[in-house]
Order: sequence, then structure tokens, then C-alpha cells
Amino acid sequence: MLTFITRRIASGALLLAVISFLTYVLLSVPDTDVGRQLLGQGADQAAVDAKNTSLGLDRPVWEQYADWLSHAVRGDLGTSWFTSEDVTQAVLGRLPVTASLMLGVTLVTTVVSFLLGVWAGVRRGAVDRVVQVLGVVGYALPGFLVTLVLVLVFAVELNWFPAIGYIPFTDSPGGWLSTITLPVLALSVASVAGVSQQVRGAVIDVLRQDYVRTLRARGLPASRIVLRHVLRNACAPALSVLGMQFVGLLGGAVVVEQIFGLPGIGSMTVTYTTRGDIPVIMALVMLTVVGVVLINLLVDIMIGWLNPKARVA
Amino acid sequence: MTRTTRTGALAACLAASLAVAGCTDSGTADTGTSTLNIATMTFPQSLDPAQAVGSALPYFQATYDTLVKREPDGELRPMLATEWQYNADRTELGLTLRKDAKFADGTVFDAAAVKANMERFKTGGGADAKWLKDLESVAVDDPTHVTLKLRQPNPAMLFYLSDAAGLMANPAAFDKGDGLKTTPDGTGPYRLDRTKTTVGTKWVYQRNPDYWGEPLPYETLTMSFFDNETAIVNGLKTGQVNAALLQSADQQISIESDPRMKTTEQEFDFQGLLLFDRGGKLTPALKDARVRQALNLAIDRKTMLEAIRQNRGEITSQVFGPDTHGYDRKLDTYYAHDPARAKELLRTAGHAEGFTLKLPRIAAIVNDALAASLASDLEAVGVKLVWDDLDGASAVQKVFTDRAYSGMVMNMGQSSSDWVVVDELVNPGAFNMFGTSDATVRELVPRVQSGTAEQAGAAVRALGEHLVKEAWFVPFYRMTYLHVSDGSVTIRPQSGMAVPSIYNYSPAK
Repeated sequence: MLTFITRRIASGALLLAVISFLTYVLLSVPDTDVGRQLLGQGADQAAVDAKNTSLGLDRPVWEQYADWLSHAVRGDLGTSWFTSEDVTQAVLGRLPVTASLMLGVTLVTTVVSFLLGVWAGVRRGAVDRVVQVLGVVGYALPGFLVTLVLVLVFAVELNWFPAIGYIPFTDSPGGWLSTITLPVLALSVASVAGVSQQVRGAVIDVLRQDYVRTLRARGLPASRIVLRHVLRNACAPALSVLGMQFVGLLGGAVVVEQIFGLPGIGSMTVTYTTRGDIPVIMALVMLTVVGVVLINLLVDIMIGWLNPKARVA
Repeated sequence: MTRTTRTGALAACLAASLAVAGCTDSGTADTGTSTLNIATMTFPQSLDPAQAVGSALPYFQATYDTLVKREPDGELRPMLATEWQYNADRTELGLTLRKDAKFADGTVFDAAAVKANMERFKTGGGADAKWLKDLESVAVDDPTHVTLKLRQPNPAMLFYLSDAAGLMANPAAFDKGDGLKTTPDGTGPYRLDRTKTTVGTKWVYQRNPDYWGEPLPYETLTMSFFDNETAIVNGLKTGQVNAALLQSADQQISIESDPRMKTTEQEFDFQGLLLFDRGGKLTPALKDARVRQALNLAIDRKTMLEAIRQNRGEITSQVFGPDTHGYDRKLDTYYAHDPARAKELLRTAGHAEGFTLKLPRIAAIVNDALAASLASDLEAVGVKLVWDDLDGASAVQKVFTDRAYSGMVMNMGQSSSDWVVVDELVNPGAFNMFGTSDATVRELVPRVQSGTAEQAGAAVRALGEHLVKEAWFVPFYRMTYLHVSDGSVTIRPQSGMAVPSIYNYSPAK
């Protein structure tokens, strides 16, 4: 297991290096006049040129990248071109928002999907059909629509939750929960739809296995068979999908964070990318790559832990 | 780990998540009456006044005072400067300063601070640094008197001192590296609360207990940045946002149906085609005034305003706004929609077959409806409009750095100062990038610049009329913006600025 983890971390580091280089080059290709972007349309060309020079943009791209990399490996991710804030601080300041969303969605998805999936897979019949229809509907509904409806109904009309903003957990746990509930629900709809179908499919597959028939024949209670044997074997495919959903959440988080006005990584990615703020975009890309590598690693470890057979495979 | 433990762990996980998911605490954000939460779609790149730009002024006004205060109606009043006096030829501007203003560290504001700030603004590389291009030097006469020496008269100098160029920071903070960018140090009515501020999304200011002036009505001022109006509208409806400016006609309509909201209209930006190529460098046809007039006559402004802004605005043919002396109401309707006359003008100008006009298009400004409307209006008189679809960043690069287009459809703010409009749109510079001019303009501009108030007023009116008749621009309409509050705030719009000054908010009675 240790060799496996070490190998994965090493390949993750390599991936990080390659992606950082490609991203930097791709961001520099459009040859956007950052100085002009920063100073606006009405600024004098001389001031624009001076700004570009002060940011080091008059140097070749490889030199700018080398400079960025040498600082990054020492933990200095630079300063945002557009807000003058320290990039590490800026990203760390917004990380708890997106992390809260993602953890919340993962929790909700895990609980609801497993309950629905197992229920549908074991009971079949009408229950199964209802769960399947819900799955298709949940998957087909556009994320922004679900989000807008949730805001209009539960925040604007009923006033049960705030419509915008984020309260840190450390300021007020209750406030924190109230600010992330609707965004988490909005993001969970598609996620639950996807994972519950996987769980259902996996449960049905496992229930058809010979050993389940044997266990039944031995007179084991159905609940025990499902909880102890079926669920564990059905976990692997469901966890893989859950891992992918988690990574895919970053995309969904963009829309949800914008509609709820949440100061998270998703909305930050859009705002800073459209402005071409290379130091911030680089930090966000690095963060995403590290996140994806870690999540995949975690999923593999969990599958191995829950189902020893997978460790051999 | 045994099987039982594993199953138990799984079950515990499920139970815990159920418990968390089941909790619903409907606590809301703190919006007491002593807090004003303003939502905005503009944010400052830095809180260092040397890099301040006029459009982000409220962020600066909270912690810095300007030398001169600009009232909502545009009138200039004392602030850090209590009196001002020009010499006879208006190349020297003497300022008397107040004695009781103090920076955050207790340092007294004085003439040396004015000199240091103005020199720094001029060379600080900010977008508005060009405003002080006419400032030759600043002489400190004594701690409460300075004299600004100008290369040539600048009728907007006092306006600039009421805007970004007049913001005064503590010179002691100048040497602290990038400190001022995120930690402002001024004499203003508030102090930035760093612990509650997240730069880029939310800036929180607490009332300055040592403020020299009348305290503002709110203990806490919060400026929240949003990149879309949907979130702002939702925030207003739930009372999490107290005040905001809405630009989109659709959002304006959606909020007006809510009886709790208080709304105030303001016409600020005009939308139009700024022609840069009046010398015919890229599009030879544009050299002829008749062709430019034909473009103006070809546009169906009324239909555009109705379809694109749902009639929220006023059609116009001039670039001077209603708060300036250069504005003449009659000129708003100078070019009526007249395709036949436009065709006739094109024919007499030798372009009976029409010509091709290539313009950059940023979807955020030129939406599909506007793009189609302009193309079909121009097509009807024989001008083929070709849109180059570009994202904002590369459009700015191609237009302003590469100078690759003959014009651009833009939204332009309308200043309350005649000279700001002249300097921005008529004098050679960013928006007159090919530096075109003509004899009348060359004769009138110096009079606007150096003449007495009466002479300057007459000259700028003549200039405004000349620009319209010579069709230097193809303005479409001024857009009505809506200042909205959740009902708890009274907002006074600020002349010459889309967003109100922080002094323009008060609790609703």
C-alpha cells in the first residue's frame, strides 16, 4: 500500500509540473495587454507600457515561467495583478467556502444516494422505478435552474435561508450551516442522481451473485446480508463515481457560487481567469490538480479498505 | 480492522451525515441599522490612492478624504482644502488646508502631505495619473497652504481634486512597500477592518472615532463585490444588501415590482459608436463628414432603445451629458432616423455602392440584439457592418494598443465636467487615438480651456454642436440606471459618477 501511495504522489508531482508549464504557456499565448486591462481603456499608452514592464511582462514567456516556478517551489505564489493581494492568502481565504460546499455535497450525496440506491436495488418494483425516474430528472435538470428556484423559494419567498453570502464556521456554526445549506442542496441534486443510480446498479449486480444466494439459503436475515455483504461489494463502483462527482463539483461550484455570491474558489476562478491574472490562475490550477490527485488517491485507499478484494485487483 | 468495525464506521458516518444534513439553522447575515451594505460590480485593484481610478472612488472615500468635496449635484465644496483661489491666468491654484485632520497614526495632515500625494499620484502609474499632466509642481507655502503650479490652465483641476487625484494618504506609509495597497491610511470617516475584509469580495469599514468631520450615519460600511446582478437582486430582496446600482433593464424591471424596494433613476452612461478614424486611415470613407452623418442618420435610435433597453433611457446624438455646459437638449434628436437621406449623403460623398465597416464586438457590451440591429440599419443604407467577435481582453488590446479598428461600440460614463469630456473624447489620446481634429475644434478647445467661465461656456456649447454636426461620434442613447435600496436607505445619485459617493446614503425616514 505504501509503495502504491508513494508512486501515486510521485506521478502527481510530475503531473503538477507538466500542467503548470502548459497552463503558463497557454495563458501567455493570447498576448493580452495586461497593462491595458489593468489601467483601463482611457489610460495613456506610456502608463500601460510602464505597467507591463513593472509586472515583468516584457520578458520572454519561459523566463516569466522560470521566475514563477522558482518562487512557487519556495511557497511564494506572488501577488495578484488585479487586486494586489497575496495570492496564497487570497486562495486560502476562499478555500473554506468551496471546501464547505464540496464536503457538504459529498456527505449529502453519500447518505442520500446510498439510501435511495440500496432501497431501489433491494426492493425493486415501484420503488425502483420511482428512484430511476427521479435519477433521470435530477440529472437532466440544469444546475443553474435548480439553484435559482431554490433561492427564489427558500431564500427570497420563505426567507428561511440567506440568499447570498457566506458566514465562516468559526464566526457562527449556525450561520455557516444556513449559508451553505441551499448551495449544497443545489449541487447535490445532480450528484445524488448520478451516484444513486450507480449504487442501485451495483446492489442489483451483487444481489444476483451466487454467494448471496448461498447466504440467503443459510437463513441469514436480509438486512444483515445487505449491510454486511452487498453494500461492501457495491461500494467500489459507487465510490469511484463519488470521486468523479467530487472533482466535477468544481465546475458546478462556479455557477452556484456566482448565484449565491459566495466568495469561493469557483467564482474566483471565473473572475480572475477572465481578467488574465496569471499568478492567481496558476495557484488555482495547482490547487485543483493537487485536489484531483488526492481525491483519486483517497478513493482508491477507501475502496481497498472497504473491500479487501480490490487491493489484490 | 475487523469487518464489524468497518461496517460500524460506515454506519456511523451515515448517521453523522444525516444528523448534519438534518440541521437547519436559519441564521441570517448581520444587517443592523447601523450597517450599510453596498453591493457593487466594480472593485479597486488596490487601496493605494496613487493607483485610484474614479470609478472605484467609494472604496477610497471611506478611508481617505479628497482635497475638495463633490456634492451630489456636482457642486464643489471644501473638504481637506477649505478655500481655493486661482491666479489671473489660472496657472496657479492656491489651496488653504484644514488643520484638524489626522491620519491613522495620529500624524497631522498638512501641506507637505498634499505635495507628496500629488507628486506620487502623477508618477504612480495609476490609470488616472494623466489627470495631473498639467501639474508642473506643488509648492509648500506653509503647513496649511500649498500652491499648485500648472503648465497651462486646466478647467477640470478642481474636479480632479474632488476625485482620485485629490485623495490624501499618510506620506509615512509611502515607504512601507505595498502596504497602502491593502492597508489604507487616510484621514477619512472610516478605517478598514482588515479582520473582516476579504479583498476581492468584501471590504468592511468601521467608523473612525477620530474623524475631523461630521460622522456618517452608519457605524459600519460594507462594500461587497459581485460579478452578476442576479446575486445583487436576491440580496436586496432578502435585505442582505442595502443598496446597489442596477444597470440591466431586465433586473430593473424585476426589482421594481417589489413594493419594499426604493428606487431612484439616473442617466449616466451613454452607449454609442465612438468613431476613431476620422482621418480615414483604416476606413477611407470615414474621412468625409457626410459619411459619418449618414451613419448617424441610418441608425434607428428609438427602436434600439425600445428593443434593447426596454425604453429605459433617452436617445441622443451628442456625447456631452445633461450635467455639463456643453449639453444642448435639442442636439439629443439632431439625427432622426432617415435612411433615404443617409443614402443620399453617401451617394454625394462618392459611396453610392456603400463600404465595409469592421468593428470589434465584445458580447458583454454589444449583445445579439444590438449587433443585429446595427448591422441591419447600416445594411439598409448600403454600409456592410462586419463584427469581429472578441473577448474583452483581446478587444481592448486590439483596439487601444494595436489600433486595429475605425471605431468601437462602447458604454461611456458622462462626466459632469466639460473639460473631462473634451480631454477624454476630443483631445488626442486614448479615445481619439488617431489624433484627428479640425480647424473649428482647434479654435474652440483653447477657449474652453483658458477662457473665462462665460467664454468657456459659449465655446463648449459651440464645440458640442460642431461635434454633432460633423458627426465625430454615433451616440445611440443615454441609459437609465436604477439605484435600488432594500427600503432602509435613501440614496442620492452622484452627478458625474455611476455609483454614488459614500456621503450620499442615509437611513430612510
